[in-house]
Amino acid sequence: MPSAIEAAPAKPQPEQGARRTVAICGPPNVGKSTFFNRLTGLHQKVANYPGITVEKRIGRLELPNGPPVDLIDLPGIVGLHPRSEDERIAIDVLRGTSRATPQPAAAVLILDSTNLQAQLRLVPEILGFGIPTLVALNMADDLSARGGNVDAQAVAKQVGAPVVAVSARLGTGMDKVTKFLEGTLAPPQPVELPVLNNIPAERRWAGGVARRASYHPPEPSLWGRRLDRAFLHPVAGPLIFLAVVVLVFQSIFTLAVPLMDAVDSLIGTTAGWLGILLPDSMLKGLLLDGVWGGVGSVVIFLPQILILFLFIGILEDSGYLARAAAIADRSMRAVGLEGRSFIPLLSSYACAVPAIMAARTVENQRDRLATIFIAPLTTCSARLPVYALLIAAFIPEQPLLGPILGTRAAVLLGLYALGFAAACATAWVLKSTILKSKPAPFMLQLPAYRWPTLRSLSYRLLDRSKIFLRRAGTVILLTTIVLWFLASVPYTDGEPPAIGDSLAGSIGKTIEPLVEPLGLNWKVGIGLITSLAAREVIVGTLGTIYGMEADEDSPALQDALRSELSFGSAIALMIFFAFAMQCMSTVAIVRRETGGWKWPIAQFTYMLVLAYTAGFAAFRIFG
Amino acid sequence: MESLADLSPGTTAVVGELRFDEVDAVRLMELGFIPGMSVSCQRRVPMGDLSVYQLDGTQIALRSETASRIRVRPEPAAGVENAKRD
Repeated sequence: MPSAIEAAPAKPQPEQGARRTVAICGPPNVGKSTFFNRLTGLHQKVANYPGITVEKRIGRLELPNGPPVDLIDLPGIVGLHPRSEDERIAIDVLRGTSRATPQPAAAVLILDSTNLQAQLRLVPEILGFGIPTLVALNMADDLSARGGNVDAQAVAKQVGAPVVAVSARLGTGMDKVTKFLEGTLAPPQPVELPVLNNIPAERRWAGGVARRASYHPPEPSLWGRRLDRAFLHPVAGPLIFLAVVVLVFQSIFTLAVPLMDAVDSLIGTTAGWLGILLPDSMLKGLLLDGVWGGVGSVVIFLPQILILFLFIGILEDSGYLARAAAIADRSMRAVGLEGRSFIPLLSSYACAVPAIMAARTVENQRDRLATIFIAPLTTCSARLPVYALLIAAFIPEQPLLGPILGTRAAVLLGLYALGFAAACATAWVLKSTILKSKPAPFMLQLPAYRWPTLRSLSYRLLDRSKIFLRRAGTVILLTTIVLWFLASVPYTDGEPPAIGDSLAGSIGKTIEPLVEPLGLNWKVGIGLITSLAAREVIVGTLGTIYGMEADEDSPALQDALRSELSFGSAIALMIFFAFAMQCMSTVAIVRRETGGWKWPIAQFTYMLVLAYTAGFAAFRIFG
Repeated sequence: MESLADLSPGTTAVVGELRFDEVDAVRLMELGFIPGMSVSCQRRVPMGDLSVYQLDGTQIALRSETASRIRVRPEPAAGVENAKRD
């Protein structure tokens, strides 16, 4: 052990390096993250607490007079009785009973100063953990702007802990916070605090403290009233909700598509340059088609992820998301979920990866798992090229409902409906069996409306991009390299083999008996294997196998498919793609978000069985 | 007037007995549903059976099933922020 360990002997062994850690805690929606971002800036990282799904945000803070400290941004808590995994870890860390993180040397309790009489109740609860604690009364700017007032010194005297009024948004009052972190802020005399575990008594005590500190709550926000009147209006409310949904949905497609094309061509161009620079060899193939192509197939999702999280960030930070969840509650409840699952599921129509990351807004752990589980069943945009190719090849265009709906659009719509139905049915089954939760009262706090700040939005985007690139990146890269290898060996005379003679080809021929019940041949079998990396890859693979331009609009490829597959097998293939989890990015992100391999493996298996059975049935019916 | 679910938008009452098990009752109290606290129903949420309640400086939406298990009594007089009863 190094000798430079800090004085305080923490109960669990301090992490190596033994830097002083300070926890930031408090109720939800009081600006903890803004406070954390304000102090740590870009020196922060997000990881998971080992073995569980809760994110651990740590940032380093250099202090002008003293050694740097590590700040931990803990999940929000409303008391000492945790209901979710997030709340449990926050309390365990503060209490020093978490095996993952030693008890912090100090804590900063952030409270919303616009609702102090209620929030002061947390002070004795946090002080009870026995670590030096600074109480920061945040949103001081909002309080005084709306005619409220509080004497922080008077509060300090009554709670026996240092208290400062701050605005994390504007950065006012933060000099005192720095002093506290340096350990140079003299604490007031300790006082006797109310007995814990009696919430009414704690609340009465808090009311008394606020009164004696001449606390004037702010005038109720007129804007908040007006916005709620519009957003929760019986007619306008649902219409606004619908408009927001359409806007988010549309922009994920329309705004993201040009960006994705730009990323795509950037990868293509750079690959071209690399191709000129590198000498011809097997290594070149690996680098270009394996590694670089793999990087490209990950980065291409980034625009969608950024745009989606920009919208979710605006909706969440402004306070609208909670209202949207309230409006969506009834329809989500029909399948056993609750309102907060709505946005993640909507997002999964673009891409399941950000959707699964967005499921964090679902508080109930079981509901969150169910949301993650069903998200890949909804029709994501990567399925569209596959559907487009097969529909163009096998479904003759005929009017169904006059000029409004043709057969091709109807089939596409049917595939969307199929995915939706499977998602609903799966959610219902999960929520009535293994993810059944005891009927708990549904309590949805509607936070005050606030302007989202550019600063917190950009931190959020940065955060999500890093997580995505790191997690999905490593798995996807590995998968594409393996797939490239399968398609490129054995190398003969320095030339890659024709795909039919490659290892992938052999595997395709080996598994032909498996895909035959769906009316498919070994060529499609290879496509099913390569599309494990990402669904749309099958289009390129089929193009390569049939030796023609690989594009879903290519008539030659459509003809080739028509000559080898029957109508029934095409339907079977589409249904297989509707249900199968042909996407390693999704698998990787589910592993990260659920903290292990159990859920992604269960999900992959379930979706494969569903896809195979439904495909088999479809081939039998339409064969 | 028997339970919170009977409260019509725009009216105010005082929280009484919470007919929940210990765990759920504690969470409701942590969110502000403390017996004696003044609570007002603000509005019904469209497309569903949620209602928005204002109490102790926050707004909380509850399903009618949950609200029906929170007993309320009429407010004694206007302007009482938090009564003394346990």
